Amino acid sequence: MLVLSIWITTAYATQYSHDPGTGLETWQVEADGIQVRLTQIGSEQAQAFYQARGFSVDNAKYYASSCVFMTVVRNIGDATIEHRLSDWRYVPDGGRPRSIRSKREWGKIWIQRKVPESARIAFTWAQFPNTQSFSPSDWNQGMTTYQLPPGARFNLIFKWREDGKLRRGEIDNVRCTDESH
Amino acid sequence: MKAIKLVAILFAALSLTAAAGDLPALSHGLTAHAAKKPAPPLKLKGIDGQVHDIAALRGKVILVNFWATWCPPCRREMPSMEHLARKLRGENFAVLAVDVGENVDTIETFISQLELDLTFPILLDTSSKAMQAWKVSGLPTTFVIDRKGHIAYSAIGGREFDHPEIEQKLRDLLKN
Repeated sequence: MLVLSIWITTAYATQYSHDPGTGLETWQVEADGIQVRLTQIGSEQAQAFYQARGFSVDNAKYYASSCVFMTVVRNIGDATIEHRLSDWRYVPDGGRPRSIRSKREWGKIWIQRKVPESARIAFTWAQFPNTQSFSPSDWNQGMTTYQLPPGARFNLIFKWREDGKLRRGEIDNVRCTDESH
Repeated sequence: MKAIKLVAILFAALSLTAAAGDLPALSHGLTAHAAKKPAPPLKLKGIDGQVHDIAALRGKVILVNFWATWCPPCRREMPSMEHLARKLRGENFAVLAVDVGENVDTIETFISQLELDLTFPILLDTSSKAMQAWKVSGLPTTFVIDRKGHIAYSAIGGREFDHPEIEQKLRDLLKN
């Protein structure tokens, strides 16, 4: 049973849910034809996922030391939408907007850290795509990472294009998990 | 107690379903492609050891699904693909499930956990080159190919493939 409540934001209502079974928290916003959802992934869970795909313990721990979220984007409107992750920003409490670390940046790190190619392929497809076009009813999910300490809070500014127009939404008061799960 | 926790973590790591909270609903919409673009080539070895070539299936309606075992919506939609394949058994219909970047052992472990046997081939795109040729940017992504070899529909994200609306679209293609 999920506990649902509504967080007030300036533009859109952020829906919040907490799963008592896993302890994981979810934030979701629906805005002008797009639904964006972030669900916490615990560090032990992220670590085990990548170890099961060929990452060494050290490299899996390195990834899991980031604040990791399962990210879902769904087209809930009638027009095709497109996102570019490089347009998105996260704003830590009292901090400046930051870019989300891209798959390309992670890829460079994994090459330096000598992660095997098969593991890097699995990693690439497990991350949320850098850019993707969604027809009505299309959706996708993948991991996004935020270079923040456990328990830190941030707002996520997400942007997407519809009919050539750039649109903007925001998920407020998202919290990095401080539990390993 | 520690062992129980470890098993729980490993299970979650394999599926990441626990991380999805209340899971996003599978949809049943397909995006129509009016442009009649030919499907790219697809010729890969399957987990059965045989080489499967989409060119050999010309004349059939083909559902091509790119997936991986670690991808939660891929795992969730797989039984519905099998249900669809069984509903359309005897028709000019084929399913090709293309696994991206995994080995046979990993795939067979997943298949053995399903409650029903898969009757369609699973192809191995170990280098993800087929996925790139088909311009797939996320998993799962599915294409429906018409009897003339054109891309008729596509779908990004998990679907209920045995939904009546999808079945009807495929039956309409089978008539043409």
